[in-house]
Amino acid sequence: MTTTMLRLLSMLYHLNPRWLYLAITVVLIIPLVVTLPMSTNVSSCGPQGLYDTAGSCPADKVILIDSSWDLGAKPECMSQLECFVNDLCRRKIKFVVFSTSLYAPTFANDVIKPIAQTNGYVYGTDWVNLGFIQPPAGNMGVLIQSFCENIHATRPIDVDGTAVASLPLMQSVRTAKDIHMVMAINYCPWQEWISFGKGQFGLPIAFGCASIMGPYFYVFVDSDQLCGLLAGNRGAYEYESLTGMRGMGSKVMMAFAFGMCFIIAAVLIGNVGFWASMRLRRMP
Amino acid sequence: MNNPITVWVGAIMTLTILSYLIKDNIFYRLAQKAAMGIGVGITVVLTWQQVLQPYWWAHIQGAFSHKEHWLNALWLLALIPGAMWYCQMSKKWFWLSTPIIGLFVGVAAGLAFKGQILLMLPQLPATLKPLNPWVLDGGPTHANILFCLNNLVFLIALFTTLLYFCFTIKADNRLFRLPMKVGRLAIMVALGAMFGSTVMTRMAFLIERIQFLAQFFSEQISALAKLVTGG
Repeated sequence: MTTTMLRLLSMLYHLNPRWLYLAITVVLIIPLVVTLPMSTNVSSCGPQGLYDTAGSCPADKVILIDSSWDLGAKPECMSQLECFVNDLCRRKIKFVVFSTSLYAPTFANDVIKPIAQTNGYVYGTDWVNLGFIQPPAGNMGVLIQSFCENIHATRPIDVDGTAVASLPLMQSVRTAKDIHMVMAINYCPWQEWISFGKGQFGLPIAFGCASIMGPYFYVFVDSDQLCGLLAGNRGAYEYESLTGMRGMGSKVMMAFAFGMCFIIAAVLIGNVGFWASMRLRRMP
Repeated sequence: MNNPITVWVGAIMTLTILSYLIKDNIFYRLAQKAAMGIGVGITVVLTWQQVLQPYWWAHIQGAFSHKEHWLNALWLLALIPGAMWYCQMSKKWFWLSTPIIGLFVGVAAGLAFKGQILLMLPQLPATLKPLNPWVLDGGPTHANILFCLNNLVFLIALFTTLLYFCFTIKADNRLFRLPMKVGRLAIMVALGAMFGSTVMTRMAFLIERIQFLAQFFSEQISALAKLVTGG
């Protein structure tokens, strides 16, 4: 390879990163204009397990959702909560929501209320938001044990300050025995759900987490400690593929595909540039 | 986020934060400090509204407004252990904070011990995986053979990774040199997967903001076009 060619290639290694920022912005805008067909294969076992477990919920039980994500995890967790609640409403499954983050109840309500309204879900009868529950001494293990033994004593009021005992749905939801499964959605859900919720009370647990936490939690799916896992927007997209309802997960997946292709290309180009600059340095 | 003021503030703040990509500037720093201040302010208000008011103050108020609930006045005593935490700030009174810290550390350690056992113990039987497709339902079908091969890869990665962390074995040991190399390779693959997932998470944040800005600008342009054409 000629020196001129190597010099040109080595320029790629010393490229100003601002060009990359501009390029990725353009790349991520393209999918907003152009829509291409995408694969609807559910490749991982996580979403399927969650879909099957949620679907087997008996009429006299509820699904507990620990929606503790807030602004810091919104881009990934919002789509997960949306697709899961959409599915529960479609299958007429009742659910109870609570949060262990101060800001989370507002975000959960913003997602759930429109879906519940569209599906004719009545607050207090078909679903309840218990709002923020402070883990005692900052320890989630204590909260899970207390919650599973006596929900009404652990959280006597809902998100609006209404007495939990006065809500029709909560009359029959008092302990872990009245809960079919737990779905914990957060950037990194509390792993105490696995140790105490599953280990001590035998509740099926599923997680919705950020993509970055996916590799850490997949081992728990493999050991059947988690019945399902939605990792990032891809998890939400796969769950939407199972339900046949298109939501936020599907909207961003095209941009993801474009973005990841760009990252792969950038890594390859950067490596070619690095190789060329090394060759140039070694040349006499 | 339908309020126009909220949308405008959101768009301006997003652009201000993204301006850091061009160069560190005063607007970025202002936005950063404002975000921190707002965060602290909201936390103080929400802590009162969601924790202290319903779980503590409401009981005390009830004790003074209803004589039959006078025992709830005992909730005032919660101030004593609460105040003990703040003794950490004084050299003279530091010793007063130690019992309450000890109590919390003890509870946390006990629960962490129980939690880790319940979390990690089921992982051990989960490593016992079938390697013989003939013992599986349906015999040596294509799916069962792939399943067993998958299990074999899992077991090789598990044992070689564990071996890699056996520091009592010398790395130049002839018998263990190759398995240790395989273990290192398995760790590298796992780290690669984690790095890929990290990129996906960061990408999700960027996509959300870019889509928000794209929607914002398209709405503003269409509103401006309507204004110009008188539509």
